Amino acid sequence: MSYTSPFEKSTTKPGHGSIVLGLLPPNTPVLSTVSYQYPLKLVAPDPLPPPDHSEDNPSTPSLVHTVFLLTYGGGIVAGDSINLDIRLQSKTRLVLLTQGSTKIFKTTDPTVVSKQYMTVGLAPDSALVYLPDPVQPFAQTAFSQSQIYTLENEEGSLCACDWVTSGRSARGENWDIHEYKSRNEVWTVNTGVDGKSRRRLLLRDNLILDQSGQTSMQLSDRMDGYSVFGTLILRGPVFKSLSQHFLDEFEALPRIGGRNWGDTQLPELTPKEQRRAQRQQREKADVLIWSAANVRGFVLVKFASREVEGARNFLRDLIKEEGSILKSFGERAVLCLK
Amino acid sequence: MSANGDPQSLEDEIADLERRLHDAKARLRLSETVVATPTPANDAALHALFLLSDSALPLGSFAFSSGLESYLAHHKPSPPSASQVPSFHTFLHLSLATLASTALPYVLAGYRYPADIDTLDNDFDASTPCTVARRASVAQGRALLTVWDRSFKAQHTTPATPANVGSGQDLSKGVAAIDALASFSASLRTASPPNAHLAPLWGLVANVLSVPLHDSAYLFLFSHARTVISAAVRASVLGPYQAQAVLASTELQSRIRGLVEEGWDRKIEDAGQSVPVMDLWVGRHEKLYSRIFNS
Repeated sequence: MSYTSPFEKSTTKPGHGSIVLGLLPPNTPVLSTVSYQYPLKLVAPDPLPPPDHSEDNPSTPSLVHTVFLLTYGGGIVAGDSINLDIRLQSKTRLVLLTQGSTKIFKTTDPTVVSKQYMTVGLAPDSALVYLPDPVQPFAQTAFSQSQIYTLENEEGSLCACDWVTSGRSARGENWDIHEYKSRNEVWTVNTGVDGKSRRRLLLRDNLILDQSGQTSMQLSDRMDGYSVFGTLILRGPVFKSLSQHFLDEFEALPRIGGRNWGDTQLPELTPKEQRRAQRQQREKADVLIWSAANVRGFVLVKFASREVEGARNFLRDLIKEEGSILKSFGERAVLCLK
Repeated sequence: MSANGDPQSLEDEIADLERRLHDAKARLRLSETVVATPTPANDAALHALFLLSDSALPLGSFAFSSGLESYLAHHKPSPPSASQVPSFHTFLHLSLATLASTALPYVLAGYRYPADIDTLDNDFDASTPCTVARRASVAQGRALLTVWDRSFKAQHTTPATPANVGSGQDLSKGVAAIDALASFSASLRTASPPNAHLAPLWGLVANVLSVPLHDSAYLFLFSHARTVISAAVRASVLGPYQAQAVLASTELQSRIRGLVEEGWDRKIEDAGQSVPVMDLWVGRHEKLYSRIFNS
């Protein structure tokens, strides 16, 4: 019988971390590995049963685990490199969170790029909710991050948000960065009849903000006055109704350039329509614009707003209104949107 | 040889030699211009370039504004009578930058690696985040494939044209590209057809037509600029002469040349959006109250 000492020295490299969420038969998910090295820190509070769990519904796992991704000092210092690998086994659910925005600190040398890489393997019938706080690159920073998700046979459920802000707006920073890159990719590994596995790209969302050459336009001018940009990626059976909700609400947005001629009688609004009207008014006040598209089995939501709060309100309102994440993952899943 | 010592005759000799040198140079220049008369190889590539650059090439590009219409709706001038020309220039600038960072790597890869066309098509599809942009790209890509099938193919399936006779290697390369294009076109009629996006196909077709790589990349960006400018004319932002002036400007020329240079070595994995708000303008085209374009 193998025995692992709890006091054994860690073998991981600086900035490296690993999370493995396994399943104890018949239905108890456990975090079988949570390891990390400075400057990365992972905190896993006690798992909670999801609100929609009941003994006679064995299709939902009995526990939902939560892991906070933290860095010492609350941010990433120039030259830091973080490498996190996450595996979700079948019938497990994980919530990944941050505690406050990921701050990127100033670099004296623009060629020193801080990096954060995350790879996630999702087994069929597993689900991940990753709704972090935004990344906040301060002025004169160079940062590159990538989130690579790998599905098996196009199965598995994913809800991942990636958003970035213009810096410390209170100090007048407005996209005064050297470089910011963020890559989100979803791959699928299919095993063919010949037993060979093939990787195929399902989605690539690659944002490249740099001051380089021909674009020859200040970053702040390229952003059309917006301070927050984000993408929400939804896929899989667990997030089906949420995906549909985003599509429906996009469809229900008032037409741009449409006019109210006052010749149509306004019908009584149902409670749902009233909520929608209120939210749309707030989006207008927050100067938030968004779009949703159904592409290749994903629902891809893109949004931009003048202030972080506007984007936060938008995400929280839509996710809470629909409610399925709260039911399947609990209130914790939307902690960063509070 | 006493005369050699005489300074006068030496000077005469030098003058004579200089005159003969000058004459010889002039004759050489003359014969060079004679050599530069049309060679068949250049002709074929030039002819193909004209075909691809023709605005009458039936790709249906006129139906797309690539987000211009939506952009203008998001930037209503105040007062309403104010000119929209400055904001059009901003848009053209951003639109070209976006196309160069997202699609140009696929044009170059489609040209350089004809055999990878299926992967390129899939990856480009995976990187196109909104339905409106995908619709525009697929519609034009399929149209290009149809033009190839119905109009260009007959000229190129017999590879013994004067253009590619010469080195045997070039010939086999050309055949490989034609084969890749033919099997891609055939797979459109299978149960799970590819998407047929414009960018990788543009590169591949240009390869088959033996248009030089740099020219095809330049033309890809130029055609986009022309489409957007022509959309601006129809959206009453520019007059037709103003539009030609923009198209002819050295500013546009140097920008396109710079973008091609900048993207020359960019790998398709590193293609990405450099103007995030562009995705929103294009994606929200569907929400316009009235539309004259498809994108």
